[in-house]
Amino acid sequence: MINTILIVDDSPVARRMLKTCIPKDKGYEIFEAGNGQEGFEKYKELHPDIVFMDLTMPVMDGYQATAKIKEFDKDAIVIVTTADIQPKSIASVMELGAFTLLKKPAKTESIQEAISKVEIKMKKLQEK
Amino acid sequence: MNQEASINFSEDEKDILQEIMNIAFGNATADLAEVVDIYVMLSVPNIQVIGIGELPFYLKDTIKDDGESSIVEQKFWGSFKGSGLLVFPSGSGKDLLAFLDDRADYHHEGTAAATLEKGGLLEIGNILIGACVGKVSELLSTFVTYSPPQVLQGKSSDYNYLIEHFDPMQTAIVMKTIFTFKEKDINGFLLILTNHESIDWLRKALHEFMGSYE
Repeated sequence: MINTILIVDDSPVARRMLKTCIPKDKGYEIFEAGNGQEGFEKYKELHPDIVFMDLTMPVMDGYQATAKIKEFDKDAIVIVTTADIQPKSIASVMELGAFTLLKKPAKTESIQEAISKVEIKMKKLQEK
Repeated sequence: MNQEASINFSEDEKDILQEIMNIAFGNATADLAEVVDIYVMLSVPNIQVIGIGELPFYLKDTIKDDGESSIVEQKFWGSFKGSGLLVFPSGSGKDLLAFLDDRADYHHEGTAAATLEKGGLLEIGNILIGACVGKVSELLSTFVTYSPPQVLQGKSSDYNYLIEHFDPMQTAIVMKTIFTFKEKDINGFLLILTNHESIDWLRKALHEFMGSYE
């Protein structure tokens, strides 16, 4: 079951947009971080069920942050939300172990579909 | 004269525009990647409101290059009106073209090499500026038409020629992204400039864009 979500993006506007796409009736607790370093620190502290991760950020970018989070917790679910949709960028984040990549701007349908896929995955893991 | 105060573009509006530029430039690089096998690293876009008269100083300070830069300009028209500038500091443009087309020698002097260089820069400029401005327009529910791109000639130490067609007393919104072609360590800038005439429309469009998320 998903309880907590962490949004990592340097743009307060992008975080706001993403938050509006997350269903409000599920009672998810949403946390935010303004760069990859802060995101990694918050991941260690909060162990969120899902991380929405931007790629182009100051201090630490989303590639490094995803790698660090996956190194810390190989089961971490990182959903990359990015405007950088070059094939090499997509391949790189998937190699790092991202759950999926969603193109910006955030859309309610794609965000909710991704969350549903995570729910299904978590359910399957619990049933094992 | 700095007219930033008179424009009253809020931090929130700058944040929205920055995110839109981020999306637009990501879109542009993906378009370029469809044409050439190249990976472009992006910086976080920077939005500034400055007097047009200050623009040459801003460019000189941004480009930090005393050599001859390669600059492609493409104007766009509509509710969103302005210019896109693709700037390669001296040598970078030739390096990029040589990388993209290893059959041609862009480092040689001569008319043929200069024509090839100009054609290549125009093509890259057309893709990046067109895709970027096009995505901004799409997100802000408008459309623009474009002038053909042109390679600007001028000494890098004097960018006044870039603002000849603007009123120096007006204000410009400058949207800057630094990009790096990873394989070759080639850097450049993409600047989108828009002036007074678009600002009221732009502010309204930004709020409508965010309104769709509330």
